[in-house]
Amino acid sequence: MEFTREIYWNVGHGFTTLAPMYGLLLVAVAIFVLGCLKRIKVYRLGQPLERTDQLGKRIKNLLDNVCLQTKVFRVPGAGTAHALFFWSFFLLFIGTTLIVAQADFSDLLFGVKFLKGTFYKLFSVILDLAGLLSIAMLSGLLVRRYLIRPEGLLTKRDDALMHGLLFAILITGFLIEGARMAVTELNTPLAAWSPVGLVVANILSGLGEAGLRTLHTGLWWFHLLLALVFIAIIPFTKFRHILTTSANSFLADLGPTGKLTTVNLEDETTERFGASELTDLRWKDIFDADACTLCKRCQDRCPAFATGKPLSPMLLVNQIGETAFNNPKANLIDTIGREAIWACTTCRACQDICPASIEHVDKIINLRRNLVLMEGEFPGEEVMTAMEQAEVNGNPLGMGYASRGDWAETLGIKSLAEDSDVDVLYFVGCYASFDKRNIAVAKSFITLCQAAGVKVGILGKEEKCCGEPMRKMGNEYLYQTLAMETIETIKGYGIKKIVTTCPHCFNTIAKDYRDFDFAIEVEPHPVFLDRLISDGKLQIKTDTFSCTYHDSCYLGRHNDLYDAPRNLIRAAGGQLTEMAKTRDQAFCCSAGGGRIMAEESIGERINIKRVQMAAATGAEQLLSNCPFCLTMFEDGVKGADVEAQLRPKDIAEILAERL
Amino acid sequence: MNILICIKQVPDMESKFKINAEKNWYDRTDLAWRMNEYDEYAVEQAVRLKEQVGAADLTVLCIGPDQVKETMKKALAMGCDRGVHIADNDAHKREPLEIASMIAGFAKDKNFDIVFTGMQSQDRGSAQVGVMIAELLAIPAVTTIVDFTFDNGAIHVKRELEGGGRALVKATTPVVLTCQLGLNTPRYPTLPNIMKAKKKELLTLAVPDMGGIGACQETAAFYFPERKGSGLVLEGELPDMAEKLIHLLKEKTGVLA
Repeated sequence: MEFTREIYWNVGHGFTTLAPMYGLLLVAVAIFVLGCLKRIKVYRLGQPLERTDQLGKRIKNLLDNVCLQTKVFRVPGAGTAHALFFWSFFLLFIGTTLIVAQADFSDLLFGVKFLKGTFYKLFSVILDLAGLLSIAMLSGLLVRRYLIRPEGLLTKRDDALMHGLLFAILITGFLIEGARMAVTELNTPLAAWSPVGLVVANILSGLGEAGLRTLHTGLWWFHLLLALVFIAIIPFTKFRHILTTSANSFLADLGPTGKLTTVNLEDETTERFGASELTDLRWKDIFDADACTLCKRCQDRCPAFATGKPLSPMLLVNQIGETAFNNPKANLIDTIGREAIWACTTCRACQDICPASIEHVDKIINLRRNLVLMEGEFPGEEVMTAMEQAEVNGNPLGMGYASRGDWAETLGIKSLAEDSDVDVLYFVGCYASFDKRNIAVAKSFITLCQAAGVKVGILGKEEKCCGEPMRKMGNEYLYQTLAMETIETIKGYGIKKIVTTCPHCFNTIAKDYRDFDFAIEVEPHPVFLDRLISDGKLQIKTDTFSCTYHDSCYLGRHNDLYDAPRNLIRAAGGQLTEMAKTRDQAFCCSAGGGRIMAEESIGERINIKRVQMAAATGAEQLLSNCPFCLTMFEDGVKGADVEAQLRPKDIAEILAERL
Repeated sequence: MNILICIKQVPDMESKFKINAEKNWYDRTDLAWRMNEYDEYAVEQAVRLKEQVGAADLTVLCIGPDQVKETMKKALAMGCDRGVHIADNDAHKREPLEIASMIAGFAKDKNFDIVFTGMQSQDRGSAQVGVMIAELLAIPAVTTIVDFTFDNGAIHVKRELEGGGRALVKATTPVVLTCQLGLNTPRYPTLPNIMKAKKKELLTLAVPDMGGIGACQETAAFYFPERKGSGLVLEGELPDMAEKLIHLLKEKTGVLA
């Protein structure tokens, strides 16, 4: 026998079927299109932003994240269930499309049938199992959402609607199949190729042919109606993520990771800076809200949220969406709340994990820019003081600028003003220049360079803050002032390479300064030292010790540098016990986003929480690569009362101890 | 209203101070410069007054070399309307009376309703300039104000007195007010105001007629006082530190006797 089935069995393939079917489809598609257009109109309220360059890369991102579900898969459990559901439901969609393609096109117009023979058998079994997998995954997700109820998961009307509709579509599909098979396929070899359908057919077979046929017709039309409702309501419900989240993989920021948009301060016609109203945002910021599926991965990783601060990246994105669609004249800063806006450490944990390619950090910085540049507001007076100090002395600590190079006086290190013929310029940064604890790191780094025969120069009193904390706090004007001065100073010496011991300086000089025509190579110290060791220029004595390692946000998530620091720890003999939250999942120290300048007055202390995670490993040393992290951990070990067990150190220090 | 705010550019107090070659003042190299803290309160109060009454013209005045214009720009960005720079490269050597007579010389025919000054400068700290301006202009002065209200021409200020007391003083215009810490929190200039400040009038004048007033005192020497004794930081384990402290108290003081 020929392995195939009659498409439109029992419902007929005539005008009375096709006309209402395609008529209803047209209605559904019209509602869908109108719904989409209505939303596009709202996206267009935002400022222009180019997101169609580098097409190849964008298409690859789209395929990766939609077809392969790469980002979704990063979180096992719900992510796995979603990916499996997506693939199986996608197969069902392809199956339906093939049926339409044969019945209403190739067969109707040209008499060509392809759903037959071995292909049909595979088609049948694959769709059958895909339907079963869909139901299984959807059930899993249902149990998670409505019975397990993970903390922080927002469940709304849309979720019930989506679960209900999808279940109804899948179950009616199997019932239709079962009814048809009970009449046409029971006891034929073909039945084995629809195992789930066969079970249903056996259950229904008692109804008799007439009953089965009536049931089949009714369910067929009902199933069609459900599918059309599904299409029609996509733009009006969370189903829209099928379009928006997918599109966002294409529209995503292509980096460099963590580089902020530079505001044109030369343009004298600009009178508004940052965002306080919807129309100040870029269209992508509004679109992002529509791409959000409330999966709460961002919220689960946000150090501010985890310590009781009024910031949830998920909520913030959705508050923008609410404003855009329901209350477009509302003040965004009042809607979101100042405390939420100031709480962000720009650690990027939210943005890094987001399966919808949403850009949380830029939005927050844009809101901060408005507060600082338009209102002169800061999270506290201490931050305003730090800003003023940076204006006067070029550092937020308020130390006299002329003593910036004093720490190096006894080390035989000259400033470039004295001798600019050097292998590398060490851009020391404010903390390693002035803060006693971090001066020890700078000295260790110099010791290592000298041991490796690298001639290092510093800028000394000519060095100023790179502007990073000010920029992240929203003070774009001060950042640009400091950046211009730094760039002019460095360029004046014609040096070829810069090394930093602060990942914030590194990220800023290597990425943000590119907007000001600055192209000198910059390297963070772990990478620089790792190469000196692998090149054999730097010999480190291996001396076993126990440690854990904290991936700073700006070396880790911002620059994907996870291995170089671990190589160094291994070279020194470190027995590394990783914390549960490590590498791209690392938990911020609290000091990013300019928060190093601010008091942390709401909720628990982030740094204490991180130190407790480190202490839980039982390691004796907590290693990091960032002066802000080190400062926070020195404070944190006291707060967590583990000062005696756990010693925070920079990687440069453990190397210098082993020369 | 016509308001004058007198400000001074001073070194940041965290700077590395060195003695100059004449050994009568600090050397100007390696210093970071900023607006005298007390003058920031004066500027802020004037701007707040303008915000309250609407019709007011704020002139900020500063005496010194060309570089003081940088500090004046901050006052303009905070909200002053115009700047008057009295170019004087020797300003740092001037005694308070000379400075006051320059300001009075400028102000005498301008009918200022209120002159705000800082209560003293952070570097010389004479606290005389404000009151001398008032004397030279023959108008009253209220010093060390920590609170200011203006209501229909009536001025009420609170003065900080020694010992933590406060005095409420009523005054009418014209008046000189010298501002003390606690009066207000100076604002951080917004970017549009920084931009606007760049276009505001900033006149540079030669030293005006000082009415025959010249130097009547001389700084004979500038020096850092000798260190006499110093703090002691105890370090180590808590019980050891307690032991050391008890030992020190017994040996050096009579508190445990």
